[in-house]
Amino acid sequence: MAMYSSAAARVLDSATKAGAQYADVQFWTMRSESLFVRNGDVLDASDNRSIGYAVRALVDGSWGFYGSDRMTDDDFDRAAIAATVIARSGSKVADRIAAVMPTKKTIATWETPFTKDPDSVSLGDRAAHLLDVEKSMHVAKNVIAAFSFLNLWTTGKEFYSTTGSAIVQTIRQAGAGCGATAIGKDHDAQTRGGPGDFGLFQGGGYEVVDAADLATIAPEYGREAVILADAPALSTRVADLLLDGTVLNLQMHESIGHPLELDRSLGWEANFSGVSWATPDQVGKLRYGSDLLNIYCDNAMPSGMATVGYDDEGVEPARVPLIENGILRAFLSSRDTAAQVSLPETASTRAQDWASVPMVRMSNIGLVPHEGTLESIVADTKDGVLVSGMRSWSIDDHRLNFQFGPQIGYEIKNGKRGKIFKQPTYTGVTPQFWGSLDRVGGESEFKVWGTPNCGKGEPEQSGRTTHACSVARFRNVKLGVKADA
Amino acid sequence: MHEQDRALSLAETVLAAAKEADQAQVSITITDASYARFARNYVTQNLESQQTSISLTYYIGKKAGTVKSADASPEGIARLVADAKKIAERVPPDNSFVSLPKPEQLPAGVPSFFATTADASPADRVEKLLPVFARMKRSNLVCSGFTTTQTQTLAIANSLGVRVAYTGTNGGIQVKAIAGSTSGYAQSYALDYATIDTVPVAEIAASKATVSPEPANLEPGRYAVILEPSAFQSAVKALLEGVDAQNVLDDKDSWMIDRIGKPVMSPNFTLRSDWSDPRLANPPFDPNDGSAVKRFTFIDKGVPVAYSASTYLANKFKVPATGVADSMVIDPGTKSREELIASVDHGVLVSRTWYERVVDPRQAAITGLTRDGVYLIENGKLTKTLKNFRYFVSMVEVMKDVEFSNRSTLAEPESDLGYQCVLPDAKIANFNLAAQTSFA
Repeated sequence: MAMYSSAAARVLDSATKAGAQYADVQFWTMRSESLFVRNGDVLDASDNRSIGYAVRALVDGSWGFYGSDRMTDDDFDRAAIAATVIARSGSKVADRIAAVMPTKKTIATWETPFTKDPDSVSLGDRAAHLLDVEKSMHVAKNVIAAFSFLNLWTTGKEFYSTTGSAIVQTIRQAGAGCGATAIGKDHDAQTRGGPGDFGLFQGGGYEVVDAADLATIAPEYGREAVILADAPALSTRVADLLLDGTVLNLQMHESIGHPLELDRSLGWEANFSGVSWATPDQVGKLRYGSDLLNIYCDNAMPSGMATVGYDDEGVEPARVPLIENGILRAFLSSRDTAAQVSLPETASTRAQDWASVPMVRMSNIGLVPHEGTLESIVADTKDGVLVSGMRSWSIDDHRLNFQFGPQIGYEIKNGKRGKIFKQPTYTGVTPQFWGSLDRVGGESEFKVWGTPNCGKGEPEQSGRTTHACSVARFRNVKLGVKADA
Repeated sequence: MHEQDRALSLAETVLAAAKEADQAQVSITITDASYARFARNYVTQNLESQQTSISLTYYIGKKAGTVKSADASPEGIARLVADAKKIAERVPPDNSFVSLPKPEQLPAGVPSFFATTADASPADRVEKLLPVFARMKRSNLVCSGFTTTQTQTLAIANSLGVRVAYTGTNGGIQVKAIAGSTSGYAQSYALDYATIDTVPVAEIAASKATVSPEPANLEPGRYAVILEPSAFQSAVKALLEGVDAQNVLDDKDSWMIDRIGKPVMSPNFTLRSDWSDPRLANPPFDPNDGSAVKRFTFIDKGVPVAYSASTYLANKFKVPATGVADSMVIDPGTKSREELIASVDHGVLVSRTWYERVVDPRQAAITGLTRDGVYLIENGKLTKTLKNFRYFVSMVEVMKDVEFSNRSTLAEPESDLGYQCVLPDAKIANFNLAAQTSFA
């Protein structure tokens, strides 16, 4: 339901009178519910709300942005004028690339599909569930800590512009996860948790919490934490590496999603999260990986964390291939970045909240599934390590050299799982690593994995992204990297 | 009415509305933040935002509900209290909760608010950028970065009588200069934006970017490495992230375990928590609960001696409460930065690092990448730009042999830590540069 159309009209009128050649305003109503349980205690039970708006004004090709949660008519006028003054200050800089003047008018409404209303599950029931999950991970005396959590986010957005656009959306996202920490005989503490990036994060309602199925996986996490605490560290070796979805999705995030953000490629992120080794002039030519590497952007993806009807510039998503048979085809873009290099827009502009400036974000990407199950790929592997759960990850500011530290490694010899190792770190260089991709699992293993906290921008914003995938195998990867090597 | 007084008055109004709670805490945060971000020598994002947050934690015995909003109207406050109370009624308890902190006599704060920062306009910020762009164009360089001015007010009131408030400003600039295949970085931060001179910042970044036309290779291995303050802050966070009771007593994954009281690192290394350092000028209270923050020493001449503990953890584990530790100061050494460089026969100088991750917290083992200015030191002189490296070290091990420059400076806010440190350059004798990248 549109609640702010009158306020928006006032803001846009004030911005125009102040000299903006284009302006838009977004009103956000944000709700964030969190529950966190650790060792039998409820450490956080919160329900946070934030309502605010942000004006973008365009003056002579220069953007200005002003966000506020003050909601009187005088505040609306002040915000509109301030955005225009800010835009004008940037227009004083010579030799700049002018921003694109938006022209499209869109009138639409959209809501994230969901099957279970969060309001149908009482706070008591949510807490009882998490406490049961947490308790079930204390499978041995040396499990010193266990945790479980859930998050529910509901964001109402109303976008209005001087081109006449009026887009009203309700975005729903959720996540749930758990983990256990065990201490070994040499006092080493090891944590095993998940699913995914310490939780399953997707677009949707409470059905996402149900889909995490914590009650089933939690005791196994407890058992594996106990094993890990006394397990040997993986020795340094070169072998085949199998990534289950919990690791593969983050590998995609760091070494494909981020380098294909077009603002990065154009140098806009150079001071903070870096640039990209892939550049627009390489579209159609750059070999990013093996022929099995098929990556797409789809910001209408069912259950995607970044799934919307329209992005934060009012652009409607469409599925865009980014890499086809290993060859670079496109980038994730905003209106301004796409225009600079004549590439398609991917509706990838997002802001963390009403106080943050919208920018290019990874949004939803996917790896096209191929064939086989995880177990059939294991059976097909002579000498390798299967890894699961992410513990640490690091990549350079061109997105080339990376080192990842999964939680657990299972040695594979002649098609069978064997010893368990802790610290199964691995390292690689992006195009060589994806070039060694020789198996991609099929539809049965395909899952929509999300992260709730991708950092980018100055000031830093936290973004919610999705990287849907099955499982994969890479040949001859350096494993078991050590600090004292 | 001063903003602090306004915030405290609002906190008291909310607290009064929650008088039925067994205990209650109200936090008010008012933030005004502006950024002029730039790339390719022009302003790409130019923004300001102002946010107010009212947070209420309502306790019924050991059960707690927390609600945040920005609605300070009587109806908004009533809804806030009702929602927080409803949560507290419905959730199981936190059995480790003992009590909110009681009021304490706090020392006077140090000057933390400067009107020149709070009142800086969009034109003021762009004015500071124009000489940066001009310097880059003179040398055919492009730059990326931002300048910022921020004001934050924080007030906390609880039902036991805690009443604290603080207002602080912060301003800064970060500049990355890019020349074809090489880059250089410089930054400057101060509470008083008027004191930030962007001309020398641009000069340092541009000079660093143009030491060599192409970056050179260097065989990966262990070298004497000098980390400039920005780089040192990012590496030492492997230690900083393990000095709290949460890590030592609760998670039991801190490097401090089994090392407290033992001389495990160089006697040159002293790490302190000091909110009153004028370069930091942090509040004398914990921003989480308003309790007093102590000034104390974590590592005393290479010996880990103490860890921090919030009121909650102090009650839980029956240890002394220190308040949060986010005012980290590392004491300087005796040699100038130039003297440190001159003392290296064959080593590397690192300006900045990125994407550090602690791989093994018990050993403070951390991996990361260098960026924006890595140089070979030969016979005491910087000779050429190098391609970047991935490093992978145990900070407990490498800090056994470290020397510091004689000047500690304020580094930029560190992304993972969420705060700034005051620290010198660090010369580490045996630093593992594990792999080299293909670029600078």
